[in-house]
Amino acid sequence: MADAARKVEAPAGGDLVLEGVTSGYGAVSVVKGVSLRVAPGEIVALLGKNGMGKTTLLKTILGMTPLSGGAIAVDGASVAGLSPAKLVALGVGYAPQELALFQDLSIRDNLRLALSSDKRLPEALERVFGHFPFLADRLSQHAGTLSGGEQKMLILARALMLKPRLLLIDEISEGLQPSVVDRIATALAHERAASGASMLIVEQNLDFALRVADRWAVLKLGEIDDEGGVDETARSRALAHLGV
Amino acid sequence: MLLVLDILTTAAILFVVSIGLLAVFGVLKIINFAHGAWLTIGAYCAVVAAKLGLNPWAALPLAFVVGGALGGLTELFIIRPLYRRPLDAILATWGLGIVIGQLITLGFGRDVQMTPNLVSGTVEIFGADYSAYRLATLGAAIVIGVAFALTIGGTRLGLSARAVIMNETLARGLGIDTARVRLFTFMMGAGLAALAGVLLTPLTSVDPNMGVGWLIGAFMLVMVADASFLALGVACLVFGAAQVLVSTFVSPILGSIAIAVLAALVLRVSPKGFSRA
Amino acid sequence: MPDDAPALGLAARPARSRARLSRSAPFVVAGLAAVALWVAPAVLDTFAVNVLTRSMIYAVLAVTVDLLWGFAGVLTFGQAAFFGVGAYATAMALTYLGATPEWMAVALALSVAAPMALGLAVGWLSFYHRSTALYASVISLVTPIVVTQLIYSGGEWTGSSSGLVGFDVLPLELEGFFRLAALVLVAVTLAAWVFVRSDAERALVAVRDNDARCAYLGLSPKRLQIALTTVLAGVAGLAGFVFANASSVVAPENAGFLFGTELVIWVALGGRGTLLGPVLGTIAIDYLAANLSGDLPFLWQLLLGTAFVAVIILLPGGLAELVRRVWARLPFGRRQAVAPRLVASSPRPNAAVSGAPLLKIENLAKSYGSLTVLENIDIEIRAGELVSLVGPNGAGKTTLMRCLSDGTEPFSGAVSIGGASTAGLTPNRIVALGVGRKFQVASVFESLTVADCLLLARAPHDRLSPIGRAETLSLPQAALDVLRMTGLDRLLAEPTRLLSHGQKQALELAMVVALEPRLILLDEPTAGLTKAERTTIGAVLRTLTGDGVAAVLVEHDLDFVRQISSRIVVLHQGRLALDGTVDEVVNSELVRTIYSGGAHG
Repeated sequence: MADAARKVEAPAGGDLVLEGVTSGYGAVSVVKGVSLRVAPGEIVALLGKNGMGKTTLLKTILGMTPLSGGAIAVDGASVAGLSPAKLVALGVGYAPQELALFQDLSIRDNLRLALSSDKRLPEALERVFGHFPFLADRLSQHAGTLSGGEQKMLILARALMLKPRLLLIDEISEGLQPSVVDRIATALAHERAASGASMLIVEQNLDFALRVADRWAVLKLGEIDDEGGVDETARSRALAHLGV
Repeated sequence: MLLVLDILTTAAILFVVSIGLLAVFGVLKIINFAHGAWLTIGAYCAVVAAKLGLNPWAALPLAFVVGGALGGLTELFIIRPLYRRPLDAILATWGLGIVIGQLITLGFGRDVQMTPNLVSGTVEIFGADYSAYRLATLGAAIVIGVAFALTIGGTRLGLSARAVIMNETLARGLGIDTARVRLFTFMMGAGLAALAGVLLTPLTSVDPNMGVGWLIGAFMLVMVADASFLALGVACLVFGAAQVLVSTFVSPILGSIAIAVLAALVLRVSPKGFSRA
Repeated sequence: MPDDAPALGLAARPARSRARLSRSAPFVVAGLAAVALWVAPAVLDTFAVNVLTRSMIYAVLAVTVDLLWGFAGVLTFGQAAFFGVGAYATAMALTYLGATPEWMAVALALSVAAPMALGLAVGWLSFYHRSTALYASVISLVTPIVVTQLIYSGGEWTGSSSGLVGFDVLPLELEGFFRLAALVLVAVTLAAWVFVRSDAERALVAVRDNDARCAYLGLSPKRLQIALTTVLAGVAGLAGFVFANASSVVAPENAGFLFGTELVIWVALGGRGTLLGPVLGTIAIDYLAANLSGDLPFLWQLLLGTAFVAVIILLPGGLAELVRRVWARLPFGRRQAVAPRLVASSPRPNAAVSGAPLLKIENLAKSYGSLTVLENIDIEIRAGELVSLVGPNGAGKTTLMRCLSDGTEPFSGAVSIGGASTAGLTPNRIVALGVGRKFQVASVFESLTVADCLLLARAPHDRLSPIGRAETLSLPQAALDVLRMTGLDRLLAEPTRLLSHGQKQALELAMVVALEPRLILLDEPTAGLTKAERTTIGAVLRTLTGDGVAAVLVEHDLDFVRQISSRIVVLHQGRLALDGTVDEVVNSELVRTIYSGGAHG
């Protein structure tokens, strides 16, 4: 699936470059000197166990956690110090892992919040219905009433609303049935084929990650422990670094 | 029957006075202890409007605009540095209230000011005469409540504000400009407080410290409502009723502390107040 | 300990003599202040004596506000109410009973006892398990309002809005009252000063920093806060007694909420958390106000209000912070932190290891609304076992730990420790049953030093002194081992906020071990640690379980789990998936699939 998509020349995708990125909370650095590139149209999986700094790295890229060292550039321009609102305006979409939905808002309002105005709402809704048709019939339902898998799909759908050029996705496959994982993998592949978006996906589910990604990297104690392309050695190498 | 009218109109007045504080607390998670000062600012807008010879009703939009504009400055220079120190924000806004009170005293003197009645006379209702203005406040509360509900429920700013109330981190991650949402919310809260100040003028004397007395009641109601608009309505009705009943049947002095005491007890039993019910 | 003690002792000796010097400093300052204030009326004019008498009484109140707000972190507007109650108790006693020495003694007793009773009630209302700082402030706001209204409704008894005037008072001249106020102020400030340099004060700061950690060290945050509120209410009442005598007038405003906010303003401007700042700030501001407000009444309030807003935003430490910054620049201004000497405590007699399970979990289930997080959990753990709890994210491991350590957590089923049910017990009472819990994110007290954190962990065993600092800190051998292996024993005087992530984790582990628990709960103690740090923690855990302590460990690192566990329990989607020996579990297909992300349902 990923192979088919890779062939697409995708000038529309964002180019993300991390150089020695260090960040954390207060005096504690959680991410230490991470250098990584997500080329236009590329999908990179960031693997690693809990507490290794994966989520913090995503939040640092998005400007939610302050960068304490290194540089972050999107399409060659530094984005360090920009607010999340600015990054979203540059076309960065974010699918967070925890508490990622407004449970007491309708599905429609959850999706609306991804756009800064309602002008392009119908068009954007049509786009995400293409990926996840079940949303169309349930727009007025509260997000909290969805099942776990449906909630994850809504989180992804919302990140796709603004037709992002760069997607940051945090453990979207966590705790899901294989069938739902399939649908999500398909949606990501289709999205890249259609829009050429680049993606950085944080994952603990190795099977899913290696299925959708072009390259992988393992984050351990805030540092890149190993990285490589998705090939026949990838699984065993990544597993070795994950310590299982 | 008069008792019921008293309860309804008391609740309406409490609602009008508290709603601006609720909006600010909900979105900014900051308790604006200068809220009383904004009621005072509103009331003095009515004084100024009268001096300029304007129609008394013109004081309402004037107060909303003046209150909102001053609120914007306050958010930028006083509230914004204190988001991480909510208890300090209470103190800084209280200090701001003192400053505003003194500035008004310097400008207008400390004497009680007279303002024209917005609605005068009485209305015969259920066979008794009742203050027309108190009935008008009931209408005002409904109008403000509906307008507020429409803003929150129907506009993008309202949606963003609700998102910030529910989960600010997530809202930020989705690219919502939370700083702007806070600024507008504070301006609106301040504007509503000033509006309430105008509506209070026929009911209380207008002097530089008139707002302080209302502040505590509004604060306790907002604590109990815990950022929920509907819970505020319920709290105003329940505590308004308690205040009227205690004042009528026990003693007016105890009636005046009924809201504070009952709200404190409700919070002790259920820290989220009425918002869960 | 023997190897380290001499070296530490040598290094510490000069610091120790300085410590003794600095310990006597409050008494010297207090003595000098008392003498100076005693002779002051001779050189001051009547107006100044009059005003300063009042200012000094207010400064006593400022000390109480500072202890509550600056040290214990409770923003209070309520001290005015206690002051008012004390003043009214005095005035009413003197008005209706007379001012004979006996009745004066009664008035004094009442002026302290009545506010303390009210303080106890206010404290009980303000502080409870999971209460918030904001709620305590709300109650402190309501209290003076209620007291004022009660005074208004007291009719002739309280003089209603005009207050009570003209009662007989202590037979003192103007100078006499000045000296009385000065003595009370010096005595209260000295007592507070000694207290804030004692071990017991560390408990207050700890509650302010992290009340959850306090509760999990077996301290009762609410009891501390209630006790402090009650005692300081009594002190405020005493100030009320002096005030009523010195002015022979009491009015409702003395008990009012506005006066309560003024106290907070003075403390903020002087510098919260510094004691002397609020005392000097209060006296200076009140004295200036008396001099200026006559000529420029509104301008003075305006200036004060503006200064207050500016200080809160720009200089939260008040004027004292400015002074302190300058002081710290001076060569002699830097105080050498002194840490107590470590000694090993005598081991507690081991409870006979019986066959009965130490921890018994029966049919435990927990849900948040419609979402079921845990169900059908049955586990038994005996003394000396090290049981690892593994499973993917969201399996309910941390939730299970929380249910084990907090009996007020809503869950169904039963948890018992050593045969005692934990139902409804707050964390500190579960600690008393012999349970120690280490959190996932290192949870220590950021404003305290390493030694102070350990001291608090020992508080259930060795009482905290309210007047001084212990020279030695006795810890069980296992805690000393943790400190030594991680080098923390050389950082005892270091503030914990300067520690690395790994050092904080180790410190928290040492604190938990210092409790001498029978059962120790550890939530990912190795997350984010280096290999060496992990090995250390593993070694400590093995020693502990060798001594008969039972341990439950939540852990992701399967290698680590394999090395140290005696049994492994696998949780998956809220259910017990496996419970067996290390080999059984590690070699099971289920665990492999769960960990590579394939297993579902």
